[in-house]
Amino acid sequence: MTKESLKTFKKSLWVFHMNTGSCNGCDIEIVAALTPRYDIERFGMMLVGTPRHADVLLVTGPVMKNMEDKVKRVYEQVPDPKAVIVVGNCGATGGVFHESYSVAGPLDKIIPVDVYVPGCPPRPEAIIYGVAKVWLKLEEMEGKK
Amino acid sequence: MSEKTTYTLPIGPIHPALKEPVAFEFEIEGEKIVGVDLKVGHVHRAIEWIGTQRNPIQIIYLAERICGICNICHPLAFSRAVENIANIEVPERAEYIRTIMAELERIHSHILWAGVAAHEIGFDTVLHLSWAVREKVLDLIEYLTGNRITKAVFTIGGVRRDITKDQYPTINKALNYYKENLGVLVNTFLDDKTIQMRSKNCGILTEEDALKLCAVGPTTRASGIKKDVRVDQAYCAYGDLDIKVMTPDIVTGEVNGDVYDRIVVRLLEVEQSVDLIEQCLDKLPSGDLVAEPKIPKLLATLKKTEGEGIGRAEAPRGEVIHYVKLDGKNEAPYTWKVRAPTYNNLLAWIPMLMGEQIADIPIVAASTDPCMSCTNRVTVIRNNKKEILDNEELHRLSIEKTRRFAR
Amino acid sequence: MKNLSSEEIVQYFNDKFKEKIKDARIEKRSAGSKKKEFFNIWFKIDKSIFKEAINHLCEIQFPHFAVISGNDIGENIELVYHFSVYYGVRLKEISINISVEVPKSNLKIESICDIIPGALISEREIQEMLGVTVEGIPDNRRIFLIGNIPEGVYPWRKDEKGPQKLVRDMYE
Repeated sequence: MTKESLKTFKKSLWVFHMNTGSCNGCDIEIVAALTPRYDIERFGMMLVGTPRHADVLLVTGPVMKNMEDKVKRVYEQVPDPKAVIVVGNCGATGGVFHESYSVAGPLDKIIPVDVYVPGCPPRPEAIIYGVAKVWLKLEEMEGKK
Repeated sequence: MSEKTTYTLPIGPIHPALKEPVAFEFEIEGEKIVGVDLKVGHVHRAIEWIGTQRNPIQIIYLAERICGICNICHPLAFSRAVENIANIEVPERAEYIRTIMAELERIHSHILWAGVAAHEIGFDTVLHLSWAVREKVLDLIEYLTGNRITKAVFTIGGVRRDITKDQYPTINKALNYYKENLGVLVNTFLDDKTIQMRSKNCGILTEEDALKLCAVGPTTRASGIKKDVRVDQAYCAYGDLDIKVMTPDIVTGEVNGDVYDRIVVRLLEVEQSVDLIEQCLDKLPSGDLVAEPKIPKLLATLKKTEGEGIGRAEAPRGEVIHYVKLDGKNEAPYTWKVRAPTYNNLLAWIPMLMGEQIADIPIVAASTDPCMSCTNRVTVIRNNKKEILDNEELHRLSIEKTRRFAR
Repeated sequence: MKNLSSEEIVQYFNDKFKEKIKDARIEKRSAGSKKKEFFNIWFKIDKSIFKEAINHLCEIQFPHFAVISGNDIGENIELVYHFSVYYGVRLKEISINISVEVPKSNLKIESICDIIPGALISEREIQEMLGVTVEGIPDNRRIFLIGNIPEGVYPWRKDEKGPQKLVRDMYE
């Protein structure tokens, strides 16, 4: 990310984290990104407790058949403009669970995805980079309005 | 005065995390919980079934992904089950390295839990304090294995990475860091008045219930049952080490089986883990790392092996047991059954939560260290009108209760 | 009752049930530098004495119940109940695995929840995973397979009732 683009930040990003069947590996790295070593909140990014307050939907884990309708519902509840990040290999491709009878598919077969953060689990730095990428994308969307 | 009615309060499951995600349905009378029902299975991932399509080496990596937090104990239990069937003797050095890895995982998991527990009662300063302390062990894990979370050090018949003499200074430095800094955490948790008020006499599990419901890990030890696979059975290097079962009476002189006791047990175990790692480093024998380094040869042997076996290990949350059956015809196991610790602790929630208040749900549910985060969305049905309480709202109730005590 | 050795436990069961114990195997393993030993006992028992055998086990010590595993072995389904006794005593714990075969034509087993209430989740699991009916189970709802997994599909089965047809091909 260039310096110029950093100047254009207009608001802080609020993220709603949803787990659709992850093993917790990505989830604890997301919490690690919030805590003092990485401290994502100093960039104005924070996790919120409801999708209606969020700008970004962050999803971990392959989508289970039982979670398919729930993730769609949560996606619809996030107000526009919105963006979706998928953290971890399983959400991006199905990962090690690709053969399972209860997996509905990788996330992008169910809702549109903007940023993929690969890794099993990705490091907190990678997660922060992913959120920053999505920030740029949201700004672009704002600009086109 | 109209007659008393109870309300149903469903919690979850929009944020289920693990193999065992849960939705609660509470029956409440005013603020008091009078009935508890559990619903699990929202993110059943069919791992056991996937395992029967893959060969044992591939399963090791699948087993690591059963749980992102306890990703040492599952591959360990699986390897032990397969080794027991095929009569593979694990080299001594590998046994010790396995022990060191398992204890590093326990340190990281228990401190992680301490932070989550503090967060549940609205003490976020301690969440950040404990997670900052925890980063050090993640650095050490990364130094020894190459990754912060999934370690990938296990293989059937041994380990994949060595611990060399030139790594000792870094390890000792990290262990000394814990010896110096754990005191702060322990004092914060055990002496803080607010934490005591929220956790003492809250979420009690009696010894009898713990025994009957077959609870495992710190949950059962906090109720006074001495059950710890590391002590009970000689696996890895634990048979050689000086180890005892941690029960809360070591510090407090009594066993109540409440949330406070579960905090005590976990903090004691972190100190114990540091000590165990030091013992292992002292005694680390020389020798091979793996019984059969050629994987195709190992797989060919396993393909011809017929039999069944169990492998057990003490995970941070309790006993893990894997059952494996090999049929001697296929590479993939015929059956693979995984029992994670939370599976046995689920039923223990019911006696713990009975009679408690709604605001106590987060800390009581978290006190067994469930591999899931599910108190995320709550619907309260009051006078037939649905009000949605989300995670934040429930968390707010919990914080308010802490504030009332703090005044 | 004094602490029994693994041989004595096998003897204790053989004395009571005679030929109804179809097979008893003691698995001895050791670990670490000092080669400290531990034991796993494997029993194969007749279905008719199943409940009695569990009661008999409880007389040694209230056992820790771990889980029930299930094998689909063609005509029959084998259920393996994993227990352990003598926990809490340094290096003295013994794992006891009791396996019982149930024919697919009459898939029924008695519930042990009245003796060991902690077995409930595992019994609910074998009901949905293998299609075994547990008689006298206090709560017979499904537990892990909710929502989109149809009834009549039993994931641990190797026959036509297995879950193969539910797998979606993600890479078409």
